[in-house]
Amino acid sequence: MKKLLDLRFVIGLFFFIVGALLVIYYFMNPNGIATPTVNITCGSLFILFGAGMIFLSYFSKISEE
Amino acid sequence: MKLELIDYLVIAVYFLFVVTIGYVLKKKIKTGNDFLMSNRNIPLWITSLAFISANLGAQEVLGMAANGVKYGLYTVHFYWLGASLAMIFLGVYMMPFYYGSKARSVPEYLALRYDEKTRGFNAVTFAVMTVFSSGISLYALAMLLKIILGWDFNMSVFLAAGIVLVYTFLGGLTSAVYNEVLQFFLIVLGIAPLVIIGMEKAGGWQGILQHVEASKMHVWKGMASASTNPMGVDAFSLVFGLGFVLAFGYWCTDFLVVQRAMISRNLNEAQRTPIIATVPKILMPAVVIMPGIILLALQSQFKGFELPVNAAGQTDYNMALPVLLSHLYPNGILGVGVTALIASFMSGMAGNVTAFNTVFTFDIYQSYIKKHASEKHYLYVGKATTIAGILISIATAYIARSFNSIMDLLQLVFSFVNAPLFATFFLGMFWKRTTANGAFYGLLSGTAAAALTHGLTTAEGKGGWITNLHTFYSGTGQAFTIAWIAFVVCFVITVIISLFTEPKEEKSLIGLVYSLTPKQKDAAKVWYKNPLILGLIILAVTITLNIIFF
Repeated sequence: MKKLLDLRFVIGLFFFIVGALLVIYYFMNPNGIATPTVNITCGSLFILFGAGMIFLSYFSKISEE
Repeated sequence: MKLELIDYLVIAVYFLFVVTIGYVLKKKIKTGNDFLMSNRNIPLWITSLAFISANLGAQEVLGMAANGVKYGLYTVHFYWLGASLAMIFLGVYMMPFYYGSKARSVPEYLALRYDEKTRGFNAVTFAVMTVFSSGISLYALAMLLKIILGWDFNMSVFLAAGIVLVYTFLGGLTSAVYNEVLQFFLIVLGIAPLVIIGMEKAGGWQGILQHVEASKMHVWKGMASASTNPMGVDAFSLVFGLGFVLAFGYWCTDFLVVQRAMISRNLNEAQRTPIIATVPKILMPAVVIMPGIILLALQSQFKGFELPVNAAGQTDYNMALPVLLSHLYPNGILGVGVTALIASFMSGMAGNVTAFNTVFTFDIYQSYIKKHASEKHYLYVGKATTIAGILISIATAYIARSFNSIMDLLQLVFSFVNAPLFATFFLGMFWKRTTANGAFYGLLSGTAAAALTHGLTTAEGKGGWITNLHTFYSGTGQAFTIAWIAFVVCFVITVIISLFTEPKEEKSLIGLVYSLTPKQKDAAKVWYKNPLILGLIILAVTITLNIIFF
């Protein structure tokens, strides 16, 4: 719960989850979408961004300690 | 536009996160100061992003895309001429007075510098403006969701208002600020792919240059006369009306944005907040204006990108972004785009509500109703005001639905009040001779001059309710002219009355007026901590951008 007070962690977690949803949706429904690569591309980038923010929140915590 | 389960899941995750942020922060809120001022303990990167995010409401996200269609690249003046200069000025010159005076709000600064009647006038008009603006945001959100998604108006109003109420009531200003930062990333990352996809479809930058009329692809060309540019504005009105009066009036005196800098941990961070915020601000046109320009390019190449007409039978430019979303985003990322739109409305609403509860509690309740109560008491008042603010917003949304013209009227009245305010602050901070009576009557005269100018001129069928002495090429040109006339009248009247009335003692103005305040010694600081050096670097970048897109 304390981790949720760190905004970097919250933003990272949000984009990680949304990115994962987009990637899962792409693999569950690869056909029939107008621009097939958009969801997988954006989803992957969101996951990377989210992971980066989570890493940043842990990294700064360690350096502070 | 038809949403699927995946899109609703994205929206649900967003709602879950904003409410959780409020719930988690609830434990940190113990006093009125925590609730209304975040105990002045928010890190620099958060205050900087919240500073521009508080302004990144629906008017910005939908309105600037709409302006992109109407005015093309000229729309960037709102960023590269207006916002950037004003934000740097706020950080370098004005923030030391706001933060250094220990005022908790902009109206409180007016009380310290002038007197209670000037504070009262500003506090009441600001409180009314913010709570009605919040209601207009709510109305616009519900209408948008009804038009593009077919959602029920009542459900949209109560769902959005309920979520904003939960997180602002639980976590106060800190929760609003944290959510604004989340919303900032969501809006940028949710709309940026649309720009990339749109540009690719339009044939890249070269394709846009080929298919959008050349007159819309400049920033300064044709500004010598209002008749030779799509904005319908001449260079004087643009530079003085928008670049100076309106931009400085909004960014330097509107408590909604200034509050985000005032909750910084120290003066240096409070100064750097608006300056650092200028970096994403000058890049923001790529996300909020480019969609409008891309739409122009797509309209000339493909069918189906036409804008719908509104109830009055006019082209509805505000639908530019939704039209692009529905045509270019598949389900999945469409949910992210729609969530970004919802976030922009909620961000605007929460920003207004938190500014409203601070001003009401400190500048109206504590000043005029109950002066010496406990911190706990003001915490309860702040929370009750939050509920009241949301309820008034809901009522305003329904009034706006029944009487659509009330939105135009409210926004007009707001502009009359805002336009002359910067003269009052500017003189107060930089001329020690300015008196309380000069400021108060100058402010009233400036407001009256704004109303009079609107009553004597017309543009796009609006104004001229007294008689029509002049017709402007565009409503934008009329707004800029009203602003600079109101500023000049307020300035002149304030100076004249001040010269004939007794000023405050100089010792009571230390920390409030530039010439009487000890200067900070920034020389020893590293360059990235020096507000002036940072400001000059960003100014150079802004000038370069203006030259590149001349």
